[in-house]
Amino acid sequence: MRDDPSVIALVARAGDGDQDAWDELIERYSPLVWSICARYQLNRQDIDGVGQSVWLLLVEQIGELREPAALPGWLATTTRRECLRILRAARRHEHAGLPPEDPMPSDHAATMIEEEVIAAERNAALRAAFAELPRTCHELLSMLMSDPPPAYTDVSATPGSIGPTRARCLDRLRRSRHLAAALAEQAEDIEVTEPRGEHRG
Amino acid sequence: MNIVARGWDDDDTLLAALNEALRARRAVPPEFVEAGKSAFAWHNIDAELAQLTYDSSRDSELVPSVRTESASVRALTFSSSHLTIELEVTPGSLIGQVIPAQPAVVTVQPRSGAETVVPSDEIGLFSIRPIPPGPFRLYCRTDAGLDVLTGWIIL
Repeated sequence: MRDDPSVIALVARAGDGDQDAWDELIERYSPLVWSICARYQLNRQDIDGVGQSVWLLLVEQIGELREPAALPGWLATTTRRECLRILRAARRHEHAGLPPEDPMPSDHAATMIEEEVIAAERNAALRAAFAELPRTCHELLSMLMSDPPPAYTDVSATPGSIGPTRARCLDRLRRSRHLAAALAEQAEDIEVTEPRGEHRG
Repeated sequence: MNIVARGWDDDDTLLAALNEALRARRAVPPEFVEAGKSAFAWHNIDAELAQLTYDSSRDSELVPSVRTESASVRALTFSSSHLTIELEVTPGSLIGQVIPAQPAVVTVQPRSGAETVVPSDEIGLFSIRPIPPGPFRLYCRTDAGLDVLTGWIIL
């Protein structure tokens, strides 16, 4: 998914000064920055501080990013570094004299970063695909995902029609161009464990 | 593309994945996203970022000698590769110094509300009065053409 063409195009446009492209990148990746801050259990004020630093560093560097496709990884490691900076400063304040320490062992942190990047890309692809679904599908799937899940009988449509519509909508989602990269990457993983077989149907 | 990922060929799994994707986005407060978007205002402005490198209310390191006479005053230092901005919080105002000493124009940028422009004297001393009540940052442009932007400051 690292070679997602839409991200490469957005980075190029933002580097040329296109605010809309920048906004799209922020929409796409703010959950990544946010969720890494949450992993470090920062308070809201500190998360805002980390966000400011990360976005400003990105503004400075977006024109020079050598590999635009590596943006999510860059964002994740930059966010982690900023989180650590804030935690170190806070710890110095609370336990003067104690050496600063990463609350996460480094192999742990590397795995966490990798997981967050993969989840962020997968989630962004799903949201983009969902946004392009026809309105009926949008409404139906939103309703099915509401918490608590509604009983089928609450729906104005006849109960019998929900199942097939749900399946049709999910199939549309699955075939979205936005999910192609995500699906291909996951499929590569599958090839390692099982031959390209005909087991589906 | 007829390759189907493990899991996503199952409707329930795909729906659960979509639900998680939307939940992750909803977890992010709108102001956080807006702050990210407005950061683009700094695109093509040749400002260097000055990071907070010292805060007397947090840091336990020895106070630099220039400040020993006022150890009870909160002091902050923002550093970039070319310029350092030192701030001291007094009861009614914020006193700043641009280092190396040189004349500059300092703009106070509150997160919300109007900006204020404060010129420094010829050795880079400036005073901000009253102290901004909410988060703000300083944009400092020296007469020699150096641009530096501090991180957000909350006093």
